Amino acid sequence: MYQLLLCWRYLRTRYLAMVCIVSVMLGVATLIVVNSVMGGFSTKLRERLHGLLSDVVLEAYDPVYGFAHPEHKMAVIRSDPFLNERIEAMAPTLEIFAMIQFSYGQSDLARPVRLIGIEPESRSRVGGFAEFLVLNKNQAKFELTPEARQYNEMRNRFKPAMQPTPIAFESVDGKPPPDQPPSREFVPECAILGYAISHYRADNPDEHGNHDVRLLQPGDDVILTTISGHGLKPCNARFAVCDYFRSEMSEYDSNYVFVPLEYLQKLRTMEGRVTSIQIRLKDGVTDRAAVVQRLKQLFQGGVQVLTWEDKQGALLAAISIEKGILNILLFLIIAVAGFGILAIFSMIVVEKTRDIGIMKALGASNGGILKIFLGYGLLLGLLGAALGTVLGVSITVYINEIEHFLAHATGQEIFPRKVYYFDKIPTDIRAWQVALVNLGSVAIAVLFSVLPALRASLLHPVRALRYE
Amino acid sequence: MTTEFPLLAARGLTKAYRRHRIEVPVLNGLDLSVMPGEFLCIVGASGSGKSTLLHLLGTLDQPDQGTILFDGERIDNVSIRRRDQLRNQSFGFIFQFYHLLPELTALENVLMPRLIQASVFGWLWKQREYRRQAMELLDLVGLGERIHHRPREMSGGEMQRAAIARALMSKPRILFADEPTGNLDEERGGEIVQLLRMLNRQEGLTIIMVTHNMELVSPTDRVVRLVKGRVEGASPTRGLNSIEPRSGVPLRKAL
Ligand SMILES: Nc1ncnc2c1ncn2[C@@H]1O[C@H](COP(=O)(O)OP(=O)(O)OP(=O)(O)O)[C@@H](O)[C@H]1O
Ligand SMILES: [Mg+2]
Repeated sequence: MYQLLLCWRYLRTRYLAMVCIVSVMLGVATLIVVNSVMGGFSTKLRERLHGLLSDVVLEAYDPVYGFAHPEHKMAVIRSDPFLNERIEAMAPTLEIFAMIQFSYGQSDLARPVRLIGIEPESRSRVGGFAEFLVLNKNQAKFELTPEARQYNEMRNRFKPAMQPTPIAFESVDGKPPPDQPPSREFVPECAILGYAISHYRADNPDEHGNHDVRLLQPGDDVILTTISGHGLKPCNARFAVCDYFRSEMSEYDSNYVFVPLEYLQKLRTMEGRVTSIQIRLKDGVTDRAAVVQRLKQLFQGGVQVLTWEDKQGALLAAISIEKGILNILLFLIIAVAGFGILAIFSMIVVEKTRDIGIMKALGASNGGILKIFLGYGLLLGLLGAALGTVLGVSITVYINEIEHFLAHATGQEIFPRKVYYFDKIPTDIRAWQVALVNLGSVAIAVLFSVLPALRASLLHPVRALRYE
Repeated sequence: MTTEFPLLAARGLTKAYRRHRIEVPVLNGLDLSVMPGEFLCIVGASGSGKSTLLHLLGTLDQPDQGTILFDGERIDNVSIRRRDQLRNQSFGFIFQFYHLLPELTALENVLMPRLIQASVFGWLWKQREYRRQAMELLDLVGLGERIHHRPREMSGGEMQRAAIARALMSKPRILFADEPTGNLDEERGGEIVQLLRMLNRQEGLTIIMVTHNMELVSPTDRVVRLVKGRVEGASPTRGLNSIEPRSGVPLRKAL
């Protein structure tokens, strides 16, 4: 009982102890903020990746030629009752690298991209596509709006080079020239461009506060060059921009160009072939491993069966390793706080030597004295951790405001939104993580008070009483 | 009390301090018996081992040789737990430098033995009663008005009174006082000794007091002088149960 009283009094009368509390507090706050922000990044990233990638992918071993008869494979999958029960949707996809060329102002630009042939309906059902479209959100289609169409025609009229030169028929033998063959209305093939291909971020916003400058309007032409499936010969075609794909994952937004599957197959002279089948599982399907197993059994190694984590495994692993290392490093901060506790406690024990003797003379046991100082360490740890939690959580919650303020105060952008495509710093406070950090720091505080506490408890009462 | 057994009896106590292989012998086969209700003064030159003896008798330290019996129970070699318990419940201590805990108020200091004894629940259960007792004791020593004062807000005499109240808190059988007046002026010191005498007379409390100041010793006290690690004049080979006569030797003579 007296331990409680004394701990409390020591806490109130010893300002040195505040140093311990502050150091534990700072350590805990840092750990919470860093974990929450890193957790926020990785959760957001996972979310986006998962939103973008289908649950499971059947992928050809050969990324150029792909495999034939996707509809046959899908039928096989559908005929398996186990898989049929679990699969929501499937989408055949033909993916190939390509170059995109277009002109902006006076200059011609070219970039490497990933060209993806899809069927809008099936791809939309698999997810991670239609919801990221800018103009026709959730209504994926390769179609120009009437205005865009008109604009497209207008532009092409002023670009005679792009039009076939009309053949001049001369009158022969005084006969009037024959009627020109009836021309079919030209419908350009459409392409959905990654947002970062078709836009760039200006350093200064325009009058609407918009950072993004659009390089390609709907209806603008682009030329996509890739290789055919026959002898890897180059082939190209003209497409009209009909929409933008904006997932906020820069890797995807700056690389993906979606075009109609059938047209791409024709262009590459590989009709009926695809490079992958994207599979979306029904919500609540937990036995993904079993699905993968079954698919592998079904196709006997003819294709690869990958989950979305397999496809992004390296990135996710890198993030989690980074987080782990950072945590270890940051726990050193608390260890430093621990040494502070050790030093300060040792001082307090020396200072309290006589009091310890008195308490022993009054019948306090060694264990009782031990408990005073362990309890004191615990109290400091708890207080530090509690304050640190409050501080850390408030910093995390207001991190965007704090960043704004600091950016204003220092004139230096701390979180360049250009780099990340997040308009806010993502955070994710996990209760168990906070609890773990708290537990760890309290444990360290107690651990480092063990030594001084033991010294105090083993003091000989007479020596302590005689101590001046 | 018809047949008087000593409340505290020491036989052949030997104690030496060892420092850097040099042995400082302090007590040398000392014998001593204390009867219930006695007021025993221990005198002796500085460094003669008075404090050492008191610490041994009060189980704060252990003798190298010899035995100590308290109420018939051997206490020099009992478990550390039992010794803690004895100090907590059967013995009271007061010291030259008062030794109050500076963070606690007078009341809390007085309550300390009970606080040490009680568990959290035991404390919550009994604290009213303990507080009342502590206030009574503070009243008794004349500090009724000062219960919420910290030691640094009190004079030496007041601190010593608080220390006495603390020593009485757990209703001890023996009160050990190590030069309780050593740091006080004559008048304050006289008051403290008067208080102790009053306790001895009215409550029948057994008191063992170490002192330098012969003025404080009353003719009714039994005086024991330490010389060369022994009680002067006592033969070292007394039987355990033999009782030393209450020496009414006037002090001047003893000196
Ligand atoms: N821890 C120790 N190590 C070595 N010697 C010690 C130790 N404690 C006490 N002594 C020695 O033991 C002897 C007795 O000490 P003690 O304090 O019992 O004497 P005292 O009679 O109480 O003296 P005083 O009247 O000054 O209080 C002294 O000579 C002292 O130097
Ligand atoms: Mg002494």
